[in-house]
Amino acid sequence: MLLELARWLAQDIRAFHVFDYITLRAVLATLTALAISFIVGPGMIRKLTEYKVGQSVRDDGPQTHLVKAGTPTMGGALILVAIAISTLLWADLHNRFVWVVLITTLGFGAIGWVDDYRKVVYKNPKGLSAGAKYFWQSVIGLGVAIFIYKTAASPVETTLIVPFIKAWTLPLGAVGFILLSYLVIVGSSNAVNLTDGLDGLAILPTVMVGSALAIFAYVAGHLYFSKYLGIPYVAGAGELMVFCAAMAGAGLGFLWFNAYPAEVFMGDVGALALGAALGVVAVIVRQEIVLFIMGGVFVMETFSVAIQVLYFKYTKKRTGTGKRIFLMAPLHHHYEQKGWKETQVVVRFWIITMMLVLVGLSTLKLR
Amino acid sequence: MYMNTNSTRLALGEAHQHKVLVMTTPNVHVRFWIITMMLVLVGLSTLKLR
Repeated sequence: MLLELARWLAQDIRAFHVFDYITLRAVLATLTALAISFIVGPGMIRKLTEYKVGQSVRDDGPQTHLVKAGTPTMGGALILVAIAISTLLWADLHNRFVWVVLITTLGFGAIGWVDDYRKVVYKNPKGLSAGAKYFWQSVIGLGVAIFIYKTAASPVETTLIVPFIKAWTLPLGAVGFILLSYLVIVGSSNAVNLTDGLDGLAILPTVMVGSALAIFAYVAGHLYFSKYLGIPYVAGAGELMVFCAAMAGAGLGFLWFNAYPAEVFMGDVGALALGAALGVVAVIVRQEIVLFIMGGVFVMETFSVAIQVLYFKYTKKRTGTGKRIFLMAPLHHHYEQKGWKETQVVVRFWIITMMLVLVGLSTLKLR
Repeated sequence: MYMNTNSTRLALGEAHQHKVLVMTTPNVHVRFWIITMMLVLVGLSTLKLR
């Protein structure tokens, strides 16, 4: 929106051409989203507390978490508001990728909102049924995947890129691309949701991975840089840097209130939306495998749940008594049960993500 | 413990200790990290804005 204004003003005042630079608008998007979080955050937390939109704590979880009961949830709405306003202000609204990512994020946010709303307002502990949740996630995920495939401008936009090995690329075809994109978007959304179990645990890795994807988007959308670094050129993808930057700013603003001891939780409205956003950006900039590497913490958390459930069922069937591999799943609870403090688990998982993001970024050069 | 300065009165000497009185330690850490990240971003923006 402001880009249009700047371009109009630039007809008379040349200095306004500075807003044509994606990098500058990305910085401004971060600061805008952060400012919105800081301005709206305290009021929103007060309102959520007033309306008793409090998180219920799972009774089979760690006992130390029982004190968290009643902490306001659905704070993810704050993140979504900050991302949406900042992106609408600073991104080029003629770019189709901006709308795809924004609509996906808000769509998954709406699913999470309904789930949270039923849980905390209607006091229905089940919220949205798992079937209904996956159905709507699949509708949006498949819709977005088909749209990206149909509007792809070149074959490289639907080719799987293997990191570290420049010569290995795999043309996916319609079915392969749509299936992979669907799995990445829905899988990423649920993985972030599973990780969101400790104060600040999900949001900072999301910010870090989102920031790295911003760099990938910038490079993929830049004809010269993409050629120089040997990654696929996706015309228009650079504008996603503004969205990712807004996500980073909104995430940091939310972390201000979500740091231990949290004043607010993001809830499904935030976790599902942010995970889907990471997934769809990775699909557009053709970095699905790099997302898998950088989001290693999300992957570990998801696998820990899958392994725990499968092993329990398997041993119950074989021996009659279900056994567990982890002391508790998801993985962050396992380490809490081993005696790590909540803040230790969170900061160590942040450090792991930082390392994985560096590995992911190194694929820009090492190929 | 308070320290008097010419213009204001800070509870404890350094800014981070002042904050500790009203926030928990992890809160202070994370919020100071966020401030640093933002300042780094502003610093990096000087690459473009000149």
